[in-house]
Amino acid sequence: MSVLAIVALTVGVWGQRLAGGFLVGPLLERRPTLARAAGLIPAAVVMAVIVQLTVANGKSLVFDERLAGVAVAGLLVWRRAPFIVVVLSAAVTTALLRAL
Amino acid sequence: MSTEPAVAPAPRLSLADFATMAITFFSLGVTLQVVLIDNGTSAMRAFVASSVIFSATSQFAYLAVIDAGGGEWAAILAGVIVATRFGILAVSLTPRLPDGTLRRVAASLNAFDPNVAIAVQQPTADGVEREFWRTTAGMYLGWFIGIGVGTFLGDVLGDTQRLGLDAVFPAALLAIIGNLLRTADGRVAGIAGGLLCLVLLPFAPAGLPIILSLGGVAIAILLSKEPES
Repeated sequence: MSVLAIVALTVGVWGQRLAGGFLVGPLLERRPTLARAAGLIPAAVVMAVIVQLTVANGKSLVFDERLAGVAVAGLLVWRRAPFIVVVLSAAVTTALLRAL
Repeated sequence: MSTEPAVAPAPRLSLADFATMAITFFSLGVTLQVVLIDNGTSAMRAFVASSVIFSATSQFAYLAVIDAGGGEWAAILAGVIVATRFGILAVSLTPRLPDGTLRRVAASLNAFDPNVAIAVQQPTADGVEREFWRTTAGMYLGWFIGIGVGTFLGDVLGDTQRLGLDAVFPAALLAIIGNLLRTADGRVAGIAGGLLCLVLLPFAPAGLPIILSLGGVAIAILLSKEPES
């Protein structure tokens, strides 16, 4: 991780909270569709990161033990399991399959 | 805009919740450090990076793009875009806080998923602020112990792949957006965004699949039957 990345991400991450709380928030109050769109950004973008972390190896798609672990996590999230159970189950599933 | 559950009983942070929060951020911190150092970042720099950025999502998104051979700025852009989540959390948190610019700025700057989720369920502004900071304290405690352990004891853990640590973060993210995926719009946005990324991954320049997954939002809005909410 480069120094440039550390500085840029720090500014980007903390700055967006200020922008959200003090600029974007008041702006969105008068624009319901835009507000709805903003609320949906995490679903789309975070899901993209999940996909990348789960099935990508560089630029190729790899379906391996990670996918099984994340699938178990998905099932547990759907069943409203506690966070820590979700995370540990994903790791244990992946680790066990690799140990086979 | 505001997330007002109004009549719902306001859950206050119990000791068990506090511990869960700390353990959660502890495990994220350890994982992130081990992965960062595995990726060739020096231990000290990894520690500084996670201390000041304090966003595992952004750091993982950045690493994923670099891993795929993407450029520095594409990776940074991906890291910043996934952090829009925090901005949106601040949108719902800030108006619920007690008056006073300084305390609002301080709280907004620390908006994360769990602390905002717990805080906005409080009926009064003072309650919002109190539960917010109590949750935040648990997160900070877990995070800094976690990145400390990950940085300086990561070697003891050995091969992170063997332990399945590479599945920890996608699983954690899934849990974080779980409630959003329960809504009809959120589900469409999530599935569309995920599919866009999946299809683009092998072809598009690294970083672009995450950025273009924003198209999932447009698809969700277009497909939604609700006229105007």
